[in-house]
Amino acid sequence: MDMRTKQPFPADHHDYINTNEGWVDRRIFWEEEIYQQELEKIFARSWHFIAHDSQIPNSGDFVTTYMGEDGVIGVRGKHDKVSVFLNSCPHRGNKVCFADSGNAKRFTCNYHGWAFGMDGALMGIHNEHIYEGAIDKSQWGLRQARVENYKGLVFANFDSEAPDLETWLGDYRWYLDMLLDNEEGGIEFLPGTIKSYINANWKFGVENFIGDSLHAMWNHDSGAKAMMAGQAFPPAEQAGSYHGSANGHGWEFATDSVADIAILGQPEVIEYYDSIRPKMRERLGELRAKIFGSLASAAMFPNISFLPGLGTFRVWLPRGPRKMELRIWTIVNKNMPDHIKQMINKGTMLTFSPGGTLEMDDGENWEGNTQTNKGLLTRQGKLHYGCGSSSRIDHPEIPGIVHQGQYNDANQLAFYQRWADLMNADSWDDVPQRHEPRFAGKPTR
Amino acid sequence: MSATAQTITANPHKTKPSKPSLELINDVQQFLYKEARLQDGQAYRDWLTMLTDDIHYWMPAREQRYRASPMKPSPLHAAYYNDNYANLETRISRTETGTCWSEDPATRSAHVITNIEVELTDHPNEYRVYSLIAVYRNMNEDEEHTLYGHREDILRNVEGQLKLAKRKIIIDQNIFLSKSLNVYL
Repeated sequence: MDMRTKQPFPADHHDYINTNEGWVDRRIFWEEEIYQQELEKIFARSWHFIAHDSQIPNSGDFVTTYMGEDGVIGVRGKHDKVSVFLNSCPHRGNKVCFADSGNAKRFTCNYHGWAFGMDGALMGIHNEHIYEGAIDKSQWGLRQARVENYKGLVFANFDSEAPDLETWLGDYRWYLDMLLDNEEGGIEFLPGTIKSYINANWKFGVENFIGDSLHAMWNHDSGAKAMMAGQAFPPAEQAGSYHGSANGHGWEFATDSVADIAILGQPEVIEYYDSIRPKMRERLGELRAKIFGSLASAAMFPNISFLPGLGTFRVWLPRGPRKMELRIWTIVNKNMPDHIKQMINKGTMLTFSPGGTLEMDDGENWEGNTQTNKGLLTRQGKLHYGCGSSSRIDHPEIPGIVHQGQYNDANQLAFYQRWADLMNADSWDDVPQRHEPRFAGKPTR
Repeated sequence: MSATAQTITANPHKTKPSKPSLELINDVQQFLYKEARLQDGQAYRDWLTMLTDDIHYWMPAREQRYRASPMKPSPLHAAYYNDNYANLETRISRTETGTCWSEDPATRSAHVITNIEVELTDHPNEYRVYSLIAVYRNMNEDEEHTLYGHREDILRNVEGQLKLAKRKIIIDQNIFLSKSLNVYL
């Protein structure tokens, strides 16, 4: 037997990634052992998207979602306080909520009737007298996560040692403001969620949105031609386009203001954004007003993605190393007229939903990327991530790690570097700062 | 329980005193079977000729909710399809570009239509048609999916020919259990 068929797992997770040579080890997309470490070192320590404020506007409004594979409830309680806690009864472990969303006064376990309040505290128990005082209710609430909000996006984290949300986002707030704060009133999520399974590793969804502009021209040629009356994607100018990343979050973009919005196939939406562009310049400055709406895609570590301007927002929830659940929403500016909101809504569903003209080609790729690694010899190979290897620049305005040219693997590698940084670190002190932050302690708008 | 955007009710409308004729029922069934055959053969342009210009083709996203707190209906609710004629044509044009990689090799499908009910409406040329559709889909080496949808259609008699003017599809999956929806229900 050829001894090369057995490869030991490296002790240092940085050995799965080589940012200088530009490659990634295929096993991180397949192996159960690595996935279990991801749940512990990444998902149990990251800030996760739970909901947007507009999805839970009133007291008692809740959503259920997952942080890693841990089911959680996010609910707006009294005094506008949003709590996030595990969706599992501490008595025998059953879920305490089986709905995707709704409005509730309490969450009561079906099994023995333990009831929990909007803050996750144990309020009461069916026939409590039978326990004869053998329970201190104050000790048996649902496990709480830390909750913070950035411009309407509610995030939660179970790690008490993790940096606060502002530090976690870091200079990425400069980017995120283009999505969340390009117009007075901010954004809102339209009602309803489309959920689907893809038999692919969760990282393939993230890395596609964080930096893979290159696939669009080839893979989405059919979708682009369908959406833009037979026109192919116009090739981007490497000179006027960039990869930017901070703390593993990334945004790849051109600076033409309009290409992503054009993919919606709704000319009136372009006109709307043109009409607010002067105010957008005042809010965000000349450069960011040119970036927003351009051919772009973005992702936040570990598993959030969006297309700024086009209006799709999604999370890739891991369901084991070889399967994920994709949840998608349409986001719009709150102050848009309803008919513009509807055009964006129809446009996102027509392009980026399970039946969408662009989405359908992506899922096929990611399943192939993942499932071929069932082959022992196949997964011993490396994957090439060397595009744009010498494109790093310093930019006077764009913060973070910046590379020239949106056809680039830079953001993907920065994402995998952050992945390795967290996988390796036993404590937050061991997590390296990969760039000099420009906005530490300062607002980005 | 009240009707919501998420359900198809037994007749929510005023029942007309007269019954549809057997001939009409037969015509409707033949129409639905022909649609299914064209879909299986991916003859999408031919299928488009069976639709009215003002078609609304709608398949809303599901949401799992408690009975006491149903989702409020909203025209802005997420949908797999919320299409007019031009939107459907856009989807179909993608498959005609020659670069639609995920459809080559082609998907195999069987559209099965059953539980057909025909009702007369207040419009003499329009009929409400309920049906149940099962689509078996097989793609790539060995991938299998089966989708079920409850349909509520409006069929219109246009100059002696039945055409589909409206379709609402309620799918029986909360999480859509596969990566793509590349068949029409």
